[in-house]
Amino acid sequence: MDFICNFPFFSILLSLFSGTVCSVLPAKAAKIVNRVVILAVGLMSAALLLYLLSTGESFIYWMGHFPAPWGNEIRAGVLEAGMALFFCIIMYLSMAGGAHKLPGEVVESKHNLYYILVNLLLSSLLALVYTNDMFTAYVFVEINTISACGLIMIRQVGRTIEAAVRYMIMSLLGSGLLLFGLCIMYDLTGHLLMSNIKESVELIVANGEYQIPLIVSVALMCTGLCIKSALFPFHAWLPDAYGYSTVSSAAILSSLVSKGYIFLLIKIIYRVIGFSVFNSTRMIDVLFVFGLMGMIFGSLSAIKENDIRRMIAFSSVAQIGYIYMGFGMGTQAGMVASIFHILSHAATKSLLFIAAIGLTDVSGGSRRFADLTGSAYRNKWAGVAFTAGSLSMVGVPLFSGFISKLLFAQAAVQVEGKMLASLIVLGISTVLNAVYFMKTVIRIYTATTETPYEGITFRHMKAYAVTLVFFILLNVILGVSSQPVVNMIGQGLAMFA
Amino acid sequence: MYLILSSIFFPILAGLFLLIRFRTPLSGENRAVSRKTLTSLIGALLVITAALVVAALMCAKDGFTLFYLTKNLPVCFRIDNVGRLFSMLAVIAIPCAGFFSFAYMKHEARESRYYGFYLLAFGVLNALCFAGNLITFYLFFELLTLSSMPLVLHNGSKEALMAGLKYLFYSLCGAYAALFGIYFLYQNCDSLTFTADGALRASSIAEHGGFLLVTAFVMLLGFGVKAGMFPMHAWLPTAHPVAPAPASAVLSAVIVKAGVLAIIRVVGMFGRDFLRGTWVQTVWLILALITVFMGSLLAYREPVLKKRLAYSTVSQISYILFGLAVMNETSFTGSLMHVLAHGFVKAALFLCAGAIIYKTGKTRVAEMRGIGKEMPLTMWCFTIASLGLIGIPPTGGFVSKWYLALGSLKSGLPVFDVLGPVILLVSAMLTAGYLLPLTIHGFFPGADYDYGGFQKKEPCRLMTVPIVILTMLSVLTGLFPDMVAGIIAMAITGR
Repeated sequence: MDFICNFPFFSILLSLFSGTVCSVLPAKAAKIVNRVVILAVGLMSAALLLYLLSTGESFIYWMGHFPAPWGNEIRAGVLEAGMALFFCIIMYLSMAGGAHKLPGEVVESKHNLYYILVNLLLSSLLALVYTNDMFTAYVFVEINTISACGLIMIRQVGRTIEAAVRYMIMSLLGSGLLLFGLCIMYDLTGHLLMSNIKESVELIVANGEYQIPLIVSVALMCTGLCIKSALFPFHAWLPDAYGYSTVSSAAILSSLVSKGYIFLLIKIIYRVIGFSVFNSTRMIDVLFVFGLMGMIFGSLSAIKENDIRRMIAFSSVAQIGYIYMGFGMGTQAGMVASIFHILSHAATKSLLFIAAIGLTDVSGGSRRFADLTGSAYRNKWAGVAFTAGSLSMVGVPLFSGFISKLLFAQAAVQVEGKMLASLIVLGISTVLNAVYFMKTVIRIYTATTETPYEGITFRHMKAYAVTLVFFILLNVILGVSSQPVVNMIGQGLAMFA
Repeated sequence: MYLILSSIFFPILAGLFLLIRFRTPLSGENRAVSRKTLTSLIGALLVITAALVVAALMCAKDGFTLFYLTKNLPVCFRIDNVGRLFSMLAVIAIPCAGFFSFAYMKHEARESRYYGFYLLAFGVLNALCFAGNLITFYLFFELLTLSSMPLVLHNGSKEALMAGLKYLFYSLCGAYAALFGIYFLYQNCDSLTFTADGALRASSIAEHGGFLLVTAFVMLLGFGVKAGMFPMHAWLPTAHPVAPAPASAVLSAVIVKAGVLAIIRVVGMFGRDFLRGTWVQTVWLILALITVFMGSLLAYREPVLKKRLAYSTVSQISYILFGLAVMNETSFTGSLMHVLAHGFVKAALFLCAGAIIYKTGKTRVAEMRGIGKEMPLTMWCFTIASLGLIGIPPTGGFVSKWYLALGSLKSGLPVFDVLGPVILLVSAMLTAGYLLPLTIHGFFPGADYDYGGFQKKEPCRLMTVPIVILTMLSVLTGLFPDMVAGIIAMAITGR
């Protein structure tokens, strides 16, 4: 086994322990440790990705060299390594883009607590990505929930505490359902390692036994993860949680945390239940329907919103709907489209959150549209970035959003019964997206002569502007040369089986 | 290759440069550069772009692929004869209206934004004409909407903003409907590269023939939004008149033609033989004829000049669509000729309207009595251009309508072969009804008119010369139709 195979383990452990170290460091040092850890994990994931692409097959890492079924396992394939790398990029950019706002948002004495939470969040995300053990997954789901809750609450404004409590309740409900599902699955199969469960599930299905408990277990796990990733009817916690937390938190929560759960769901579908078994349950139709509803109702709520941050948050509901619609198609192409959309949405949504803060900053901190009029002239970089993000969301060619819509549509055309529904809803949702995003873009570019707010120039926000440029580049790269990424996703999914 | 690329990206980059560099208002005390420098710079940019396009039209032979969007979706450019024809219109009308705006925009705010988007739209339009496959076309079709929208909402009033949004949403809905069709075409064609005689696989036609017809219809409707075809025409009379007059000229004369070009491409992809005689053709003919008649009727009742011209665009573009829907070569020739004829005429008419607004501030037709005495050159051009739109020889409009009517009569379609020309005639009559009163009352205001009160109000050269050029072109296309027909014949037969 090559040395590089230790990297997944190293990255989880590094981010976990750096969290602990941060608690005794002064705020400034904690910030540096945080950045270095994210970078280091990113580099390790990149190296791992290259390694896996060259060997062409995934590997399983035994923790402490105890073989299955006793030991705990980590598994790394192209998709896992790529996802970890992408999460690191987004997290680094989100932290960099929100850094200048942190002193104003969080009390000075709590800064290193903030970095502890971010590091913990990273470690739990990495664990969700890499683990091959259902119970480990559950443990890190909880760690993820707690650190995410802390990230929402750390900005102690009345509304955030309410939001955090809401998030806590909904999230714990979700983890509870996941745990139930897990217990039933353990009862049925007697295993906790994903590969072993899958073998037993195949046997069970082949023998035709325990049909109902199996479906109940699948349904519980799916529902649990749907609640946690804010699929449509369970999205009530989302706008407040994203809308009022610190900027970096909002960007990370919307683009990474929910995606971590979705990625876990993908792993469960492929590695625990088995793709074909999952598709033979009615669950995919349920996901499909709620995905479609999310796409429409999320956008409708966003249109009614008069607060730019909450509008972007509601748009997440719609985008999560897209991802579940892809799952619901029950084909490989649909899954590829969903995974691409995870990347595309993560890159776009964090860009929008970070850009929106630049706009509200030059409008006296107000998020009302009336005050945002002409703000793009006061902060040009944020204006351009917000426009780029909006265009990507609407699905204008050359941006990542177009490619994911293209992939969804291509996937939909191949599925007989769901083709028309998905294409029509995709169309409606695109137009609705255009309604609220283009409305905002026009609003921020409407010149006003009498404005009480000062503009800001490049000299005062170099780091911020550079971050935005990186975000835009990421979007355009995903939009223009998507084929390598799509190939990698396909390769990664092939390794899952 | 480099000629095509530079004719697309030079104006786009120049436009972006203008938008980024000259953000400060150009009028008032804190202007960044003098207005003269700016206008001469933009004039030079327009001329260089036009020269690049002409060079590309003459020299470029082969297509090329720029990059791959996904595995089977290349972004590629290729010049064919249909594209060449549309490009000819753009390359003449856009610089003309551009020079006109140097005078017209003197008192407007945020000029550099206007010119920035103007150049952007020019570049995108070139790309649209040179696009080699459907996906490239769609890409620039979206960009065209986005880059021309700021021209509509230029003056920033509430009305303009609403019009801009209306334009945006209609266009996006249409573009999405078209994209919907592109997905299906992509499934049922070997490639999305443009052809004139159908790219559908024979097996697909046998298997999903009915569904493909629905797809074709949805695409027609979708792209038809941009061309202002009947059920989705409402944005056009709202959006075109609120733009500054030279921008309305470009919107009405050139940018709506993007929808026509799109429909030609789509029909080419499906193949005329596939669509001929199906319900799609019938419905399309009905919609086109309704639009022709309704547009003229609405224009006839409209008191505001620019709005009247916009309604007239709705009607005239559907002449073109009617010709395409008939689907034989004569009518196709007529359609393409009408693209040129209407382009020149409508640009000239809008510029005349702009000159009148600029000099007198009058917008309603009723206020324009005696205008011919005050601005004789402008009104003469207006009159000649009107004759072109009505279709009186020797103007271009006559030749194109001749071909359209001939094609329709020859087509052998039931009912429509006669009904078509009849409606075209009635509409031409209405056209005379809504355009000629301006000339009549303009030159012959009647006995009770105060002859002592009027002054010479002829606008400056920067305004009159573009108008005269466009008017002359509209006549020349009628005097020498063979030249145009020659290009079109090439477009039909070989490419």
